[in-house]
Amino acid sequence: MRRNALRRRAADDRDADQKDPLGTLLSRAGRGDQSAFEELYDALAPLLHGVVLKVVRDPAQSEEVMQEAFIELWRLAPRYDDSRGSVRAWAATLAHRRAIDRVRSEQSGRDRTEREAQKRPIQTNDVAEQVVANIDGTRVRKALERLTEMQRQAVELAYFGGHSYREVALLLDVAEGTIKTRIRDGLIRLRDELGVAT
Amino acid sequence: MSGTDIHQLAAAYALDAVDYHERAEFEAHYPTCAICKAEVAGFRETLSQVAAATAVPPPSSLKARVMAEIGETRQLSPLLPASVIDLATHRQGRQRMVRMLTAAAVLVVIGIGAFVVGRQSGDDNGYAEAADAILGQPDTRISPLEATGAAEGRFQVAWSPSANKIVVMGDDLPDPGPGKAYELWLVDDAGSHAVRLLDKADGRKVRRVLSVEGSPSQWAITVEPEEGVEKATTDIIFAAPA
Repeated sequence: MRRNALRRRAADDRDADQKDPLGTLLSRAGRGDQSAFEELYDALAPLLHGVVLKVVRDPAQSEEVMQEAFIELWRLAPRYDDSRGSVRAWAATLAHRRAIDRVRSEQSGRDRTEREAQKRPIQTNDVAEQVVANIDGTRVRKALERLTEMQRQAVELAYFGGHSYREVALLLDVAEGTIKTRIRDGLIRLRDELGVAT
Repeated sequence: MSGTDIHQLAAAYALDAVDYHERAEFEAHYPTCAICKAEVAGFRETLSQVAAATAVPPPSSLKARVMAEIGETRQLSPLLPASVIDLATHRQGRQRMVRMLTAAAVLVVIGIGAFVVGRQSGDDNGYAEAADAILGQPDTRISPLEATGAAEGRFQVAWSPSANKIVVMGDDLPDPGPGKAYELWLVDDAGSHAVRLLDKADGRKVRRVLSVEGSPSQWAITVEPEEGVEKATTDIIFAAPA
């Protein structure tokens, strides 16, 4: 229903709509349309908040990061290029990076005194257990289960744990090259399991 | 980093599991590499699906704050295709530059908007490759910076707006002094934030690639304590409109 409503409203912008309904909203937002941005907010906020919260952990800081991320989406809206991916992927990338930058800048202060990379407790963020019981969740859980345990651990430590591949290597006491390979093989399998076109 | 290695970074990059240096290097590479570009796009779609499975609505108060703030936030201009950018306009006259320099000096001196957005780490073994990629972009413009006083040496900044990257090249530069470094300031249209880069100019040279966001209107160089400052403490020694 939402799709249909979007489609009607976007009669003047049919091409963009057919590719990605959120693309229409984003191109309107890129022309300064705040009500389009509001709809975009509604469509994207739970997705982005889920990621940011996983990475940042602290709810108050997550909210700050969310606010920064949405302001950035607003500023950059005129430059969105749909040939580089869907709006959801673009927005999730931007929010994830904001979250990562937040935890890393916090950490760099602490690292100087603590040298804690080796000591940091391993937090596995077991997504397979935590995903919500919706269709997306089931699909993603099944796809994650197709990864080897080691691939899944490396991908999750990086994506949700906010660790660089070097830090993941330290945490797991495995060579950096091995971690790079696990991450890569894990993502390729996940991509294929989820049927993402390449 | 060798040419084969950099392709291996696509997955780690899509996960944001690379350091700032590798991020800059990979970002200089992948837009021009069909394989990496497709991989990054595919991995990002994949991750957005993984993310969707963990969706949690934010507190409802957030929306009102976001909507209030966008009402006061200027959007960036769309990027113009390379063919529209006329190099001649950018080289036009000292007068415009002097005017902008004055504005920059005022901004920096009164300390508006020195806000740290990004910073690159030390030695850059991948410099040549990363720099080549940026210098090869069709929209790259090179601005030679003008010395504002009797400063020795020279700086150039090559900026590719489409890649959001700059290459900073300094030559024949004197040692900035003990505990000091050259700091680059990017002043943007709102004057509200600037990015800094610190370099000791070892071997009298600066060779750096870094990310910039937004649309800087000018570049300026000062000498600052090497740990960095958020507001310029000395006069601009080189500057140019972006």
